[in-house]
Amino acid sequence: MSQHRATRRRVFTAAALSLAVIAPLAACAPGEESADGPVELTFQTWVPNIDTAVEAFNESHDDIHVTVESIAAGPDGGYAKMLSSVTAGNPADLAQVGYDELATFLLNDALADITEYVSDDADKFTDWQWQTGVFNDKVYSVPQASGPVGQFYRKDVFDGLGLAVPTTWDEYYEAAKVIHASDPNKYIAAFASNQAPWILALAQQAGQPWFEAGDDAWNVTIDNPDTIRMAEFWQKLLDEDLVKVEADMSNEWYADIQTGNVASWMSGSWAAAIVSGNAPDTAGLWAAAEMPQWEAGEHVSASWGGGSSVVVLNGSEHPEEAAEFALWLNGTPESASTLTSIGAGWPALKDQSEITALTDDPATFEFFGGQNIWETFAVADANVDRSWQWPPLVDTLYATLTDNVKAAVQNKTPLSGAFEQTQIDMIKAMEDKGIAVAE
Amino acid sequence: MTTIARAAVRRKPLKQRLTLTVLLVPFILFFAAFFVLPIGYAIVDSLFTVKTSGLGFGAPERVFVFFENYARALSTPSFVESIGRVLLFAVIEVPLMVVFSLVLALLLESGKAHFPRVFRVIYFLPYGVPGVIASLLWGFLYVPSTSPVLQILSNFGLDFTPLGGDSVLFAIANIALWGFAGYNMLIIVASLQSVPGELYEAARIDGAGEFAIIRHIKLPLLRPTIVLVTVFTIIGTLQLFVEPLVLKPLTTAINSDFTPNLAAYNQAFAQSNPNLAAAMAVIVALIAFVFSFGFLKLVNRKGNRAW
Repeated sequence: MSQHRATRRRVFTAAALSLAVIAPLAACAPGEESADGPVELTFQTWVPNIDTAVEAFNESHDDIHVTVESIAAGPDGGYAKMLSSVTAGNPADLAQVGYDELATFLLNDALADITEYVSDDADKFTDWQWQTGVFNDKVYSVPQASGPVGQFYRKDVFDGLGLAVPTTWDEYYEAAKVIHASDPNKYIAAFASNQAPWILALAQQAGQPWFEAGDDAWNVTIDNPDTIRMAEFWQKLLDEDLVKVEADMSNEWYADIQTGNVASWMSGSWAAAIVSGNAPDTAGLWAAAEMPQWEAGEHVSASWGGGSSVVVLNGSEHPEEAAEFALWLNGTPESASTLTSIGAGWPALKDQSEITALTDDPATFEFFGGQNIWETFAVADANVDRSWQWPPLVDTLYATLTDNVKAAVQNKTPLSGAFEQTQIDMIKAMEDKGIAVAE
Repeated sequence: MTTIARAAVRRKPLKQRLTLTVLLVPFILFFAAFFVLPIGYAIVDSLFTVKTSGLGFGAPERVFVFFENYARALSTPSFVESIGRVLLFAVIEVPLMVVFSLVLALLLESGKAHFPRVFRVIYFLPYGVPGVIASLLWGFLYVPSTSPVLQILSNFGLDFTPLGGDSVLFAIANIALWGFAGYNMLIIVASLQSVPGELYEAARIDGAGEFAIIRHIKLPLLRPTIVLVTVFTIIGTLQLFVEPLVLKPLTTAINSDFTPNLAAYNQAFAQSNPNLAAAMAVIVALIAFVFSFGFLKLVNRKGNRAW
């Protein structure tokens, strides 16, 4: 009998133990919101130090309180987290989403329509940046910042060879020849087949956009004549070994910009910080210029992967308050100035006179030999083509584009073929998802 | 008396059964929650797809498509190529790994090695380095402009590009070998240490040399361990993922569906196509299953053992 009881006690202990292990798993329920007091909002973002700007909002607003939730950058898992939280019906109220990713979010039904709350403020923002959040005349995002593309170049290398910075692509080709002839280890630039936004910027600047939303179907023209002309231009540089096939922002590439073996980089405005941070010994030797042009005298520009906006996620209980925060954060001069100074990117605000971080930036100007490089990027930003639309399934576009360009470089097949193949792959991926593509 | 005895007989299994049940419950719950359920979920998920319409700005819907995702995966040339690639990789990696870790273990346990414990730890150390870090380190060593080794060789006129199209599989095999040989060696060492010393003594008295002892005592007794190490390595190579993912930005020879697992990852997390990814994952699991059990069946044929 006593033995029986002992066994039973052991049984209970084991049961209690197993329950104790499992109980915490069941206790993960979302936090409750308080009934009165300010409306509580959560904002998922990966911009470092953005809390400064959010704190300023909280201090000036009694009725809304925003909490920042730091997450991994969008392409590194942030977007996956947002999309799954929307699917699970438990999203944050606000989220940081790139211009390039907005249509993909719409495809997943993850964005709230905020037209009625924000459309009156449209003209505060640079036109092309605002348009990135407009689909079928409905507004889904408030633009924050972008990366207009320019050339960062080693002025000492160019000057030493008697070269001026190329203003047209023809001059770029000639400069590439002179630089490589001066030293077989030196190249005008890296051919970054890993970098979809770089390839897209070149295509965007070349002319005809790749995607256009028609009335009921998408027009997809990745292999359009303008893009093919661009591809053939780079083919010539590759064939004559005038650009170095190398991933940008890789260890190898960082070593090359430190030594000057790669003498220039075409990238977004924010890349100034990457250059100065990774090649500090070359301070004063750099300068910035607009992208080379297809027609002399023009100022056609492009953006690096669009830019970054703030959206209200579908399922937020307070879309109106969330939209108010998004407008304030990106649309008031003081806040936009704070964002620019923490490195969020080129402000989407049209009137930049009050953004002191752009006029008073001695450390950056010193690195670029005293040049006010932000004047150059202001011109670039004003000339980004507003007809460029980002398609749904942009991640598929990035993956297939880099795979196809890599394969062309690896197998020494024509670069133009990579764009023709991407056209085929992209249409197939869209149709597989049920998206209508015009013939 | 008999009734009491019979009751006791009946009650005892019941009690035991209860104890057994309670002790098994935690395991079964976790096994179900973190093993059976995800596999079941992946299989179910692989039978659906998400469709939208028009410009793709409306709400998408989930539709049942039977085996369409499997058909799509297997009709994607790059996915089929990636399966061929890991099979080729397994042909390179599995024999290398087994022979290398076996030789290391035999050398350390030969009784003639100096400081065997120290070397055992040193050989095992790379296993403690997470795969991502190991790949990053080797990535530095594989790229000419950051690799001191390649730079020195280049001074002697030897130019290597380990991440080129022809050599990239070997470059990855090298990382895996570096990371896991020590671990497999340790499994073999543990098994060697459980061999009774009398066997060696008896063999020596009979005049057996070191190689004869290895051939006639150590290898036959190590057989189950070597089979185990081989199966682990087969499964590991078919699931190749971290190394190519980390090395991908450094070379044009690795694309986003270089291995089946990389392709599934790419579909799930970059191309928001979790259903197709689930189908790919199930295919990889089936292949790993077929190969590991095929290997076990091959080596365990009764009366027809290879050695």
